Amino acid sequence: MKVVTGVVGNDIHVVANRLIELSLNARGFEVFNLGVNTYLEEFFDAAVETNADVLLISSLNGEAEGWAREVKLIKSKYKTLDNLVMMIGGNLVVGTADADTIVPKYKNYGFDLVFHQVDLNTGLDTLEEYLKEGKVS
Amino acid sequence: MSKLLIDIGSTYFKVCTDKAIEQHFRDFNKDIYDDLTHKCGETIRGYEKGDVYVCSSANGGLSTLIIGLTDSYSLKYAKNIAFNSGINIIETVIYQNIEDYSIPSDLIDVVIVVGGIDSASNIFDATLFGYLDKLNYSNIVYVGSSAEVANLQKNINDLIVLPNIIDNKLHIVEENLKEYLTNLYQADIVGKEDIKSLYDITSNQIYSTPYIVNKTLPLLDANFSVVNPYILIDIGGATTDIHYSKDLVDDNIVTQNEYDRLVFKKLGVYKSKESLIFAAENNEFTYELLTHLKVTENIFEESGEKALKVLMQLAIFLVLCKMSHYKKAYINLKLLSINSIVLTGGITKVLSDEEIEDIISFFYTKILNSKHNPTVVMDKNYDIWTLGAKGN
Repeated sequence: MKVVTGVVGNDIHVVANRLIELSLNARGFEVFNLGVNTYLEEFFDAAVETNADVLLISSLNGEAEGWAREVKLIKSKYKTLDNLVMMIGGNLVVGTADADTIVPKYKNYGFDLVFHQVDLNTGLDTLEEYLKEGKVS
Repeated sequence: MSKLLIDIGSTYFKVCTDKAIEQHFRDFNKDIYDDLTHKCGETIRGYEKGDVYVCSSANGGLSTLIIGLTDSYSLKYAKNIAFNSGINIIETVIYQNIEDYSIPSDLIDVVIVVGGIDSASNIFDATLFGYLDKLNYSNIVYVGSSAEVANLQKNINDLIVLPNIIDNKLHIVEENLKEYLTNLYQADIVGKEDIKSLYDITSNQIYSTPYIVNKTLPLLDANFSVVNPYILIDIGGATTDIHYSKDLVDDNIVTQNEYDRLVFKKLGVYKSKESLIFAAENNEFTYELLTHLKVTENIFEESGEKALKVLMQLAIFLVLCKMSHYKKAYINLKLLSINSIVLTGGITKVLSDEEIEDIISFFYTKILNSKHNPTVVMDKNYDIWTLGAKGN
């Protein structure tokens, strides 16, 4: 399975980004890591060029919320991404908020899987379960 | 033995000997060879054919249509390679929306089809073939996913297939397409009757001028008081060329080139004067700039030295605008990081250092709200071109 990943927006948390790539590789995914400071269009464009199954966006400095609001609008312009699994994880707010508030908000933005301040391996376990359950056609 | 260097532009030609550089306005009633030998025949006759080196940007360049999957990868990579191969005219089509594009009526010299890493498949279908059927083109090259090659070869006549320009890490692979386009460009130059006749005065390969300039750039800081990162602006009669240090872009294009090229194809002070004025009239800062220069828009109707000066100043301003975040373009440069702005071409004969510094300062103040002040370096003796040409 192919995963496009990267850190969204003006965020340079490169260590976390590298750890995500290593963990995905260890689980047998084919990873396309766009690195830090990545814009939404680049994520979707990369998914098209690679024919990816999963888009995993990470955000560490909390600015994802500003970017994530645009996800549905931008994704709707692409004709070949209907089956793309959308996943986001990291620290998804500036300040504090609990997952019960954050997760529905991001699902409404167009993400299938949302992990706010959740351990990386837990998030990836859930992704694998999600894929196994055939929620991706 | 000394060399004679000749550069044929769309508006002027330049002839450089060890002793001097001559610049002549072209007589468009004559072909290039007659005009050149009429004005500089004595100089040319003093050299053996093997010592004469000619480059040209006067053939108009190849017209190119790129059909790619996405803006950020396939189209951007192919466009980058095409610009660096000396190509000026580039149109792009995003494949998923191909049916929304009108079919260009002019003959296209080369169509580039690109998209997907090698493992991506089922990318192109009948919509591509239907579009190509209606298109009038001379060459077509495919540089996308290898999984699509058989499908495309079966459905597109005379398709040239080269290795994918996108590798499996989504990085750009330049060399094969660059070599193909450069060779096509050379063949086009040679094929043009006007240029072909210049082989009567030289036995050396005639190169495109952008290719020669690009070769000089890594040598520039040794020969000029230029500090990296810098941009080089060549405002011509028909087009404006920008060569820029790669440090000035935050981009996903990682290549071995230190410098990239970018062309504004309808920004020039002679052949493209009308479109330059049109661009100026559509820029909200133009009238403030004209006031700053103490002229009115009536200057657009005038000809003469003053009008030419204003057009060149406007061209500098518009080019900087087009490369800044003020205008979303193919590429945005980090203009606040520039240490030097190098100007070459006819502009150095028309504008003084002060007049250019004035415009650059106006741009930084008005558009970027900054007092940043890169040094202006004028290539008044065409040293950049001669450095590259001598290297052949």
